Amino acid sequence: MKSLVVDWAYSLSTSQSYQKIKRFFYNFLENDDYKYKKHFDIFMIILIFLSVSILVREVKHHVNDFWLFFSNYIVSFIFLVEYILRLWVNSSITKIIIKNYEYDDMLDREFRLSIVFYQILKIKSKYIFSFKAIIDLLAIIPFFHQIRLLRIFVLFRVFKLFRYARSFQTFISVLATKKFEFITLLMFSGIVIFVSSVLIYVMEANNDDSQINTLYDAFYWSIVTISTVGYGDITPATSAGQFVAMVVIIAGIAVLAFTTSIVVSAFNEKLDEIREIKIIDDIRKSKNLYIICGYENIAKEVAKQLLKDNNIIVLDEDLIRVNEAKKDGILALNYDPGNIDSYKKLRIDINAQVKAILCLRESDVENVYTTLTVRSISNSVYILSLLMNDINKNKLTFAGANEILYTQELVGMIAREFIGKPVAFEVIHALRSGYTNVDIEEIMIDERVLLSFLTVGELKNIKFRLVLLGIYKRDHKRFFFNPIDSTILEHGDYLVVIGNGVFIKEFKKYLHTKIRR
Amino acid sequence: MKKTSALIFGSNEYTNEIVKNIKHKYKNIVIFKHESEPKNIELEKANIKIYEFSDSWDFLEDKYDLSSSIAFCVLEDDAENIFLTISLRSTFKELNIIALSKNKESANKLDMAGANKVIPMVQTTASIISDILKKPIVTDVLHNILYEKSDLKIAQIEVTNESCFDGKYPSDIEWSKKHGVIMLSIIHEDMSSEFIYSSKAKHHAIRNGDIFVVVGYETDIQEFKNLIGRDI
Repeated sequence: MKSLVVDWAYSLSTSQSYQKIKRFFYNFLENDDYKYKKHFDIFMIILIFLSVSILVREVKHHVNDFWLFFSNYIVSFIFLVEYILRLWVNSSITKIIIKNYEYDDMLDREFRLSIVFYQILKIKSKYIFSFKAIIDLLAIIPFFHQIRLLRIFVLFRVFKLFRYARSFQTFISVLATKKFEFITLLMFSGIVIFVSSVLIYVMEANNDDSQINTLYDAFYWSIVTISTVGYGDITPATSAGQFVAMVVIIAGIAVLAFTTSIVVSAFNEKLDEIREIKIIDDIRKSKNLYIICGYENIAKEVAKQLLKDNNIIVLDEDLIRVNEAKKDGILALNYDPGNIDSYKKLRIDINAQVKAILCLRESDVENVYTTLTVRSISNSVYILSLLMNDINKNKLTFAGANEILYTQELVGMIAREFIGKPVAFEVIHALRSGYTNVDIEEIMIDERVLLSFLTVGELKNIKFRLVLLGIYKRDHKRFFFNPIDSTILEHGDYLVVIGNGVFIKEFKKYLHTKIRR
Repeated sequence: MKKTSALIFGSNEYTNEIVKNIKHKYKNIVIFKHESEPKNIELEKANIKIYEFSDSWDFLEDKYDLSSSIAFCVLEDDAENIFLTISLRSTFKELNIIALSKNKESANKLDMAGANKVIPMVQTTASIISDILKKPIVTDVLHNILYEKSDLKIAQIEVTNESCFDGKYPSDIEWSKKHGVIMLSIIHEDMSSEFIYSSKAKHHAIRNGDIFVVVGYETDIQEFKNLIGRDI
């Protein structure tokens, strides 16, 4: 028997198809990053609302048998399947068996199934008795709809919404931070309600004019009064009762004020965290993301220039600078860019989603540190870094920066060009900035372009009043200036053209639409 | 005899880089160091004359030919740099002043103070970074052309032989096929620049005094220059 169980556990844990299925259901039910989970959540929310709608409709109207069947059986069955699947993926039985077996084997102890079953029972019951699992179970109960009272359990399906809507979860998590305050408040309210109920009962129960005749009436009156609702259906008739009422009303105001302040302060304290979650959610799915490390002078300007057409996020450990970035309308997080955890918290695939990481702190120490941190996570991501002091250039190169920008060197080169060829300098500057409507663009040759054009001569760029400055050949990693007409176009090549921005757009369209006949 | 010189005001990393890049053109480079600035060993090693700052600039006129000299104002502090620029401009009307500024706001003030060219460092660096990211190939190509890091050269040529164009308009000439050069811009006598094939190119025939900005290989540029005019 023991060997049978162990064999079964090993065969399941090594079975790729079993693990694949289990991983799929885990992602489907529990992994917020999984793309299909959202669809599943929406589907479940719709089921919940349909069930509740049917319940409400059924109170005063006749409901079609199909809808009753749907609500009582189909929805309940779906919830049951979901419950079982969650119970399954929540923990791994095979892992427990294998772990125990291997421990016992290593320590030369007897492998006992009873211990394993106990551990499995413990871990599974921990899940079964969790708040969410109990709600799930109660939501299945309407399955037994013959017992009319149990129908009310349909309402528990509403509580299941907590599972599928993240905002509810956030709300609960925010309130959970004030657990101690809420317990204190509950204790205080409980004592006031208990004392006032007993007092009002003692004062009023024997008075014929009083509406409070039972302890239940007294309890009801206390709750209505302390909550400051005060229906007025039950009022104290004796002056002693009225005195108790005054005390309860004052206590009620205190309870209400205390509750409001707890909720408000909880949200205030968690506001940044909630915003952070929102920012991470926003960038999680974005592609071609630029991560800007630091938000000082140059970083601000770069962010401003990239913001228009790109997804960017700023990471800075300085809260003042992060707030500045937020004021400038940029997604920013108060994370240290030199810390690996910062990138883990972003929950993004750096290689696939990040186009470049820009180390723009105005400190070489920080930039080297950040570059090393990023390189330790990804070998391939493009890193551009600022250099503040020439003597640190080697360190940045060694750390793995792909491109290093040394402002002082740039100034020197600009000065050289300006004293030599000031007109040419201005022309290139105007071309780069594009403010004369004349632009310089790089156009990639893709498969679609190659369907229509095979050589440079066929491009007919002159028709669009564009100058072909040259062609960048990917295979040669070289720029060929002023290519001759017979130059063959290849996939991945880039054309560098100069001309009016509108004509460039037209030319791109022309390249991608014309089909060779 | 008065010398054509490069006068650099400020002694820091920018000064070192500027000296490196202009020493081929200016044989006489003079540094004016602010009293608050530390010793610049690199410049001292290069045997460059370093003077302390003063409030009076009159002696410059006696020593240097200011009409052909160039001044670089590269003090680290923007306010001091603006003050320096305005003092130089108020004393020497014809001096060519290039000034550094940290940001656009100071750049405007330096413009108003009379600098001929202002380099706003933050904006310039940021533009280059965003160019590298958005158009890496274009940036690389232009960078190599502008800073002569490849065989390609950029040249300014003044037309002195307009007859070789025979009254043609810029858009009618196949520059690249015929001359092996690519025309980036034409600056007419009225100093309005226009790019080839732009809509304006049809309205202005090539005349003597026009300046061509062309890109090409050195031999092609030389041949083109010999044909149409002279280097400037």
